[in-house]
Amino acid sequence: MQTLDELGTLPDADVVRLAQQGRELAFRELVRRYERPVFSLVFRMVRDRETAEDLAQDAFVKILNHIDKYSPEFKFSSWLLKIANNVAIDHLRRRRLDTISMDGSLHASTASEVEATTLNLASEQESALDELEAKELGSAIERAIATLRPEYRACIMLRHVEGRAYEEIAATLDLPLGTVKTYIHRARHELRKALEGLRD
Amino acid sequence: MHDRHLRSDEIELLLDGEEGFGVAPLRAHAASCLSCRQELESARELMVALDSLPDFTPFVNFSDRVMSQVQVFEPWHAAATRTIEPFVPATRPARIAAGFGAALTAGLATAGASWVVARADMAFILTQLGAEGVRDQIVAASNDVASTVLGQPGMTAMQSGSPGLAAVAVGGFVAIVGMGVVGLRALATTSHRGR
Repeated sequence: MQTLDELGTLPDADVVRLAQQGRELAFRELVRRYERPVFSLVFRMVRDRETAEDLAQDAFVKILNHIDKYSPEFKFSSWLLKIANNVAIDHLRRRRLDTISMDGSLHASTASEVEATTLNLASEQESALDELEAKELGSAIERAIATLRPEYRACIMLRHVEGRAYEEIAATLDLPLGTVKTYIHRARHELRKALEGLRD
Repeated sequence: MHDRHLRSDEIELLLDGEEGFGVAPLRAHAASCLSCRQELESARELMVALDSLPDFTPFVNFSDRVMSQVQVFEPWHAAATRTIEPFVPATRPARIAAGFGAALTAGLATAGASWVVARADMAFILTQLGAEGVRDQIVAASNDVASTVLGQPGMTAMQSGSPGLAAVAVGGFVAIVGMGVVGLRALATTSHRGR
C-alpha cells in the first residue's frame, strides 16, 4: 500500500487507476494536485471565495464519485477542468452575474447590436463587496479579467494561468480550435483596451 | 511591407509566434514602425503579466470537505487482488516456483475430482440396478399374496380390470380379513378367561 508521498511521484494516470481500485489516498492525492488550479479557475470565474469553494468542491465530488467512468485516453486534468468550468458557467447562468462583454455580444452582427450589448464600465458602480474581491484578486489585470465574458475568461485562464495548449483548451471546453483562438485573441484585445488607461 | 499599422488580430498572430504565409511582412512592419512596435511590446507585457498570475489556494480543510462527500468504493476484483497480494512472493524465481506449485496442485485437484465423479457415476448405476431387483421381488411377493388371498379368479378379475368382479374380489378380501380378526380376538378372549 503506497503512502501519500509515494503517490505524489506517480503520473496522473496511475493515481487515477489506484483511485478506481478504491484507494482513498489516491483520491486525496488527486485533490491535493488539482485543488489550486480548479479553485483558481472557479474563483476567477465567479469572483466570490465562498461560492468558488463550494463550486470547486462540487466539481471534485462529481469527478471523484464517477472516477470509474474516467477513460485514460483523455487527460485527467482536462476532464477535471472541463467539469469545473461547466460548474462555474452553470452557476453564472443561474445567478446572471456580471458577464457582459465590454465589446458587446458575440452574436451581434451590426454596429447597433454591438452598441446595444456593450457594457459601459463607467456607469457600473462597483459595490464594496466587488472592491473587496478585486483587492483579493490583487491587481488591475485581475479586475480587467473579471470584466471578460465567461467563455473568454475560461480560455484566458487555461491558456495563461494553467499554460495549456490551444488544442487542449479546445478539448477541455468542447470548442473548435478556431473558436478558442478567436476567444483568446479577443480576450487579450479587450484586456489591452481595459488596461490602456492604467498605462497612460 | 505594410503601409498601414498592424491590426489587433495581426498583433495576436505575432504574439502566438505564428510562422505561416503573410507573417513575415507583419514582422517586418513591426520592426520598422515605432507605434506598432510599442503596441506589440505592450501586448507582450500583458502576456507576461497573464502568465505570471498566481494560483489561489482554497481553505485548509478543502480536501477533507471534498472527501466527506466522496464514496470510496472498492470493486470486488480490486479487493480480491488486495487480499491475494500479501501471499504473492516478492522475487521472480519465487513467483515462478509458486506458479508451478499452484498449477501442479490445480492439476492434481482436477484429476482427483474427475476420479471421484467417475466413481460416483458407477455407484449410481449399481444402486439403480439393486433398486430394480428389490422392486421386482416386492412386486412378485405382492402378486403371490394377492393370488393366495383372492384366488385365481380374483387375480384374473383384477388384471382384466372389470369393475364388478374387482369389487367382488375386494369385498371378499375385506370379509376374509374381518373374519380372521374376529376369530383371533375370540381365541384371545377365551385363552384369557381360561387363565
